[in-house]
Amino acid sequence: MNPAVHLDGITKRFPGVVANDDVDLAVERGSVHALLGENGAGKTTLMNVLYGLYQPTEGTVRLDGEPQSFDSPRDAIDAGVGMIHQHFMLVDPMTVWENVVLGNEPKTWGGLRVDREAAREAVVELSERYGFDVDPDATIADISVGEQQRVEILKALYRGADVLIMDEPTAVLTPQEVDELYGVFDELTEQGKTIIFISHKLGEALSAADDITVLRDGVNVGTVAAADVTREELAEMMVGREVLMDPATSPQEAGDRVLEVTDLDVEDDRGVEAVSDLSFELRGGEILGVAGVDGNGQSQLVEAITGLREAASGDVRYRGESMVGKTRRDRIDRGMAFIPEDRQERGLVMSYDLVENGILGSQHDPPFANGGRLDWNASRDHAEAVIEQYDVRPPDADAEAESLSGGNQQKFIVGREFERDPELVVATHPTRGVDIGSTEFLHDRLLELRAEGKAVLLVSSKLDEVQGLSDRLAVMHEGEFTGIVDPATVTEEEIGLLMAGESLDDDSVEGAAIHDAAGGGTDDTPGDGSDGADDASRDGIDGATGGDEGVDA
Amino acid sequence: MSDPNPDADGDPSVFARVVAPFVDRSVAERLVISVAAIFLSILVGFALVLVSGRIAECSTAAWTMPITGLGFCYNPFEVYVVLFNGALGYPFAVGDPGLFNPGWTPFNLSFGLTLSETTLLIFTGLSVAVAFRAGLFNIGTQGQLVVGALATALTVLALAPLLPAGPVAGLVLIVVGTAAGAVGGGLWGAIPGALKAYADANEVITTIMLNFVAANVAYVLVLEVFRAEGSSVVATRYVPEYAQFPSVLFPASTDFALIALLVGVAFIGALYYFVEHTSLGYDLRTSGVQAAAAEYGGVNAKLTTVRAMTLSGALGGIGGSVWVLMSEGRWMASIPDLGFDGITVSILAGNNPIGVLPAAFLFGILKGGALEIGFRTDVPTELVAVLRGLIILFVAMPEFFRMIGRYAGVGGAGGAGSTKPDESAGGDGGEADA
Repeated sequence: MNPAVHLDGITKRFPGVVANDDVDLAVERGSVHALLGENGAGKTTLMNVLYGLYQPTEGTVRLDGEPQSFDSPRDAIDAGVGMIHQHFMLVDPMTVWENVVLGNEPKTWGGLRVDREAAREAVVELSERYGFDVDPDATIADISVGEQQRVEILKALYRGADVLIMDEPTAVLTPQEVDELYGVFDELTEQGKTIIFISHKLGEALSAADDITVLRDGVNVGTVAAADVTREELAEMMVGREVLMDPATSPQEAGDRVLEVTDLDVEDDRGVEAVSDLSFELRGGEILGVAGVDGNGQSQLVEAITGLREAASGDVRYRGESMVGKTRRDRIDRGMAFIPEDRQERGLVMSYDLVENGILGSQHDPPFANGGRLDWNASRDHAEAVIEQYDVRPPDADAEAESLSGGNQQKFIVGREFERDPELVVATHPTRGVDIGSTEFLHDRLLELRAEGKAVLLVSSKLDEVQGLSDRLAVMHEGEFTGIVDPATVTEEEIGLLMAGESLDDDSVEGAAIHDAAGGGTDDTPGDGSDGADDASRDGIDGATGGDEGVDA
Repeated sequence: MSDPNPDADGDPSVFARVVAPFVDRSVAERLVISVAAIFLSILVGFALVLVSGRIAECSTAAWTMPITGLGFCYNPFEVYVVLFNGALGYPFAVGDPGLFNPGWTPFNLSFGLTLSETTLLIFTGLSVAVAFRAGLFNIGTQGQLVVGALATALTVLALAPLLPAGPVAGLVLIVVGTAAGAVGGGLWGAIPGALKAYADANEVITTIMLNFVAANVAYVLVLEVFRAEGSSVVATRYVPEYAQFPSVLFPASTDFALIALLVGVAFIGALYYFVEHTSLGYDLRTSGVQAAAAEYGGVNAKLTTVRAMTLSGALGGIGGSVWVLMSEGRWMASIPDLGFDGITVSILAGNNPIGVLPAAFLFGILKGGALEIGFRTDVPTELVAVLRGLIILFVAMPEFFRMIGRYAGVGGAGGAGSTKPDESAGGDGGEADA
């Protein structure tokens, strides 16, 4: 039997670049196939060829053995190929079923009227057939990201897709939603659908896919069965060399108190308390990790510290100075670097080139500004230095930010912020969307900053990242730290409990909760770590040294 | 032109499909589009002139269509020839042997009128453009112009008796008067700016309303307090001749001063420099294209809004100063719609200060040419206004689509710019539910 999808010797050239070089890919019907590779390896280009967005320079796309020639996604959709983009294409104020049928509505009255009943019925029938738990009458704006993704899948199925392409489907999902997505994969494949998903996460490919194809620099490095391959082997295929899976932390003497947060309350946009009565402190030469399910107040905490959001009450002291009433600019001027979580909204101006983006935040400061005048030569040098040092691709300072891939955008932001010579780095999801090789480099840079005595507040949804890098690990749940633990000794189960809002009573908490206790026994000091401030504090940090074994990357 | 790849978003709405191709055009492509649009508008206008020429009644046909022998009251060729040639003062000899008119000099009446309009529209166009760059839609340039004009007239009239008449006093009065116009317009612009920044009031609404407030308050003030004695219209006294921009080279009746045009061009350069090469300009345009990123970069959004509206108002006010000191010589109630035309000039210019010059010039030509058509042909002025409107509509529409598309977030990464083997943008948690 012919494979459901067979890409035969696909080569795709762009002016000056070969994005795909003679790539073969065969996907069996009813299987889940992961397309794995680093940023810029050519994964999305290859899928865009399959989806009809690009015409291959050479090679053939075959579906069930039949050669196809797609001029546009419309042709691909007609042939049964559906693609679910990373950023959903849904109309927020409309209902689920309206979104699903949008563009292909069943019509009556000779095409003048949308047959709403038939449309809704079709959507209900479809979601029942695949066991999707989505309310057809819910408004898109009101449902979770995971549900929105299922609506996207329904959209593709409604259009008759047999082959579903998903671009980084887990990037926007919580761990629970990821599990649910895997369940959806099972449902779909049982009914004979074929799934190809793009990923740069090893774990994801290993747990969700039947087969994995690794792309590197536009070339198919190999296709392997997920059951027969290890993480390390996959990583080596992707990067082309051996990868150290764990960053190497070294013992570090904590320095001066850089950040001191006391009884902080922060409200979100709707006026609901997102951070409640939070207190902690952070010293130079220390990395404080904040773990937690997204949406438990991490964003608001970070925004209150960096000056993007006013705190409802409480105090943030930065190097001894109260930041209450201080603007974002005041805080930038005082040496706070900030890697924001939404890089395309905040971190970069999408229509600016990298020269212009390189001075975002420093546009009033020398060497980029002299007496109100901008020095574009200095800006260019700066941008080029960041591009080179942080391996931003393509290495072109004149490229607009929106033309860069997500991972490269992120590398540029991280580079810009790290090179600010900061005293405090607030990093939210610094390696989100970044490939393994660059992630390693960014981790090393974070540790270098720590070695230079800078303070780092690291918020990440990657547990291995916060656990591996942090000296202390705070777990956040509903606006509070449910615990500040020693990342070296804490287990994943314990972190999971803390993330779910439960507290721990055992010893693992003891070593690390000390800084809070030292800060004066505030109300929300977690657990029972209120004894032996200094000694235990040293323990906590030493513990982090040996923490490497504890991390399973 | 490169393939705009309109289907990049999988299944975009009709709106997105229509608008997206305009979003990612390069400057050169947009220029080509503009020129093509002018020709298209001429084609449509041509038909319009023919039809109305057929409907209208006249004793002798101005033009007879070959072959068919149908007579038309208006000659469409003549209309457009007069429109463009006349606006420049007939540099081209139509019908006579030779392409150029040997007696032509640039310093003629028609060209002066064209340039006079151009000069005024430079200021109002810049006023709208600078607000646009900060992401603000200033419909209130007209009101700011009215206030600026009044401030200028009153200041000059108040100061003139204190100074001995002469060129030195003239220079002082022009400078001080223009500064007064800038301050007046600037304050008038700062009001909607502050309302937007601190009371979250939509600047489109407030600026429109402030236009009426400005026009009517100024009207009553002049009517009751500052009206010139014996004047039949609601107007102030004339400012002294020496306090007006002198009409060097051009006939005095053109109401055009080359110096004022040069000042306008200098403002274009200064504003371009401000927007592209200063820290404050960076703040301003970053707020305009991506407010969240500007805030992240330490830009005070409220202050920037007030600043941009003040600057915009000041430019509108200077437009009013120039209108008083160059065109009218006094403040009077029937001020032309220079502020509203400034909106179209700015859109036509893509809100780029440099682009304001050709856009204002095109407007000047249409204005000057319309006057000529009125002198030279039987075509009614209303029809000329329609032809003007057509040209503006056709030329501005692609640019307008582009702005709307940018505003709606259509195009961009999926468009012509992204012919690179990119992975699509990486995982941004908050994006999807935004």
